[in-house]
Amino acid sequence: MSIIWLCREEQLAPGEKLKVANAEVGDICVYNLDGVFYATTDLCTHATASLAEGDIEDNLITCPVHWGQFHIPSGKAVTFPCERHLRTYRVSVRDGEVYADVSAEAREAEKIECVQI
Amino acid sequence: MTKERIPLRPIDTTPPLRNLDRICDMESGRLSGKVFWDDEIYQQELEKIFARCWLFVAHESQLPNAGDYLTTSMGEDEVLVVRQKDRSIRVMLNACPHRGNKVCFSEAGNARGFICNYHGWSFGADGGRLMGMHESKCYEESGFDKSQHGLRQARVDSYKGLVFATFSDEAPSLEEYLGPMTWYLDVVLDMDGEGSEFFGGCIRSTIECNWKVAAENFVGDILHGGWTHDSAARAMLGSAVANVSDMPESYSVNWNGHGYEFGTDVVGNAATLGEKNINKYLHTIRPRVAEHLGEFRSKLIGAISSATIFPNFSYLPGQNTVRIWQPRGPHKIELYTWTIVNKSAPEEIKDMWRKGCMMTFSPTGVFEMDDGENWEYCTKTSRGLVTRYQDLYVGLGMHTRIDDSELPGNVFRGQINECNSRAFYQRWKDLLEAPTWADVPDRNGRMR
Repeated sequence: MSIIWLCREEQLAPGEKLKVANAEVGDICVYNLDGVFYATTDLCTHATASLAEGDIEDNLITCPVHWGQFHIPSGKAVTFPCERHLRTYRVSVRDGEVYADVSAEAREAEKIECVQI
Repeated sequence: MTKERIPLRPIDTTPPLRNLDRICDMESGRLSGKVFWDDEIYQQELEKIFARCWLFVAHESQLPNAGDYLTTSMGEDEVLVVRQKDRSIRVMLNACPHRGNKVCFSEAGNARGFICNYHGWSFGADGGRLMGMHESKCYEESGFDKSQHGLRQARVDSYKGLVFATFSDEAPSLEEYLGPMTWYLDVVLDMDGEGSEFFGGCIRSTIECNWKVAAENFVGDILHGGWTHDSAARAMLGSAVANVSDMPESYSVNWNGHGYEFGTDVVGNAATLGEKNINKYLHTIRPRVAEHLGEFRSKLIGAISSATIFPNFSYLPGQNTVRIWQPRGPHKIELYTWTIVNKSAPEEIKDMWRKGCMMTFSPTGVFEMDDGENWEYCTKTSRGLVTRYQDLYVGLGMHTRIDDSELPGNVFRGQINECNSRAFYQRWKDLLEAPTWADVPDRNGRMR
């Protein structure tokens, strides 16, 4: 277990996302999808881009540079040119604070057949 | 802080052509067909006119929302016109600064940005800054600085909804460029204080003529109307075009190559659409126009008239067609046309105008067809080497300037008059001969 603090729950309204710097695993992007929090690496797996600068639509994050898309809960790459899935982190919320376990994938990610790097 | 981008390499300037007086002498009203045919002259026009003048690129109403864009060209330079989040409009080259490929192929739409098909260079809609590219890591490892690259921006300004751009840093301001012509532009752009809009889409077609033939027709040639368009007028109106010279009061005005010829008959142009409700609408709003723009200009809102803003933006009050003659080599133009209407007009009136434009001034329009054939052969006869040097007479209306007119600009008596054509070609020659904007002579008050 390697739990890190991401943000306060109230910092992120539904439909919003936030980049959180982390020295250990690199930048993390936190998302609020209809009240449920998720976290992935912030760097797009295709080319240099911060997903926190992208747009959320239907549980997908669209990269701001080449408009490739990932499924936020599972990290699955779903749209060209994204081929490699996104690393996800297991999120928990306690007392209005959002945390990630950077040693665990999101539960939804475990359903993806191909394990990401 | 992003660094200033490496500036665009200045255009290689070529020496002005010599002996232009031989083929364009507006003091005596003589022109030669060589100006419509010669490729060397055409290349000079791209450099000394289209890369230097303010060119029309869009009407603000075409881009209501942030991210809305359209593609057009400035001369032969393809550009993107994009509405920004701060409501401003940016104009940038539609060419990738990596290998030069076109980055946007559609005519209009809404986009978060533009990505080149070739190597995935990606540009933001917000001013075309370079966002990234495919295999970005390799660029980063070789010390690439993204901030130094992006789609090249043009200078942009607008007048009452009409957006103009220029690639020249030394061009005068748009306000100075248009000068007193804005007083006349208000007749279509600002009839009642509520502004204008483009209604419907853009119709694009080609005509195999030189761009100047078309621009000059609109700058000041109503003479052709009664002759060229006789049969079309009979079809649309049920009778011949009235002799324009019989009309009681008409003028030609020009300024720095822009020109407007007009009667004071309120609805003469509008009547050619064959739609009574349009004339009725114009008569109904005229008192409001008189209140807003004064009695005199209220008589011009749909009158027999035409105009060109130098070099290639033209319009017809009344028919409400707005167009740009895009040069595509010396012998061809791409014609972009739109219908302009008052924002405040009822929807059904706007739609009548849109249909009226299609019936008259579109690829199938009765008047456009008449003009197109004439313009094509005005151009094509000059492929004959001898014909190319035949004198073309542009002298009609010499000595008709009204020196004490209260109207803005250089004012001439009568709209059947080639004074605007002379002013147009004089400006054309002055620009071709001037090494810089500062060298362009001021001919206002001096032209015959």
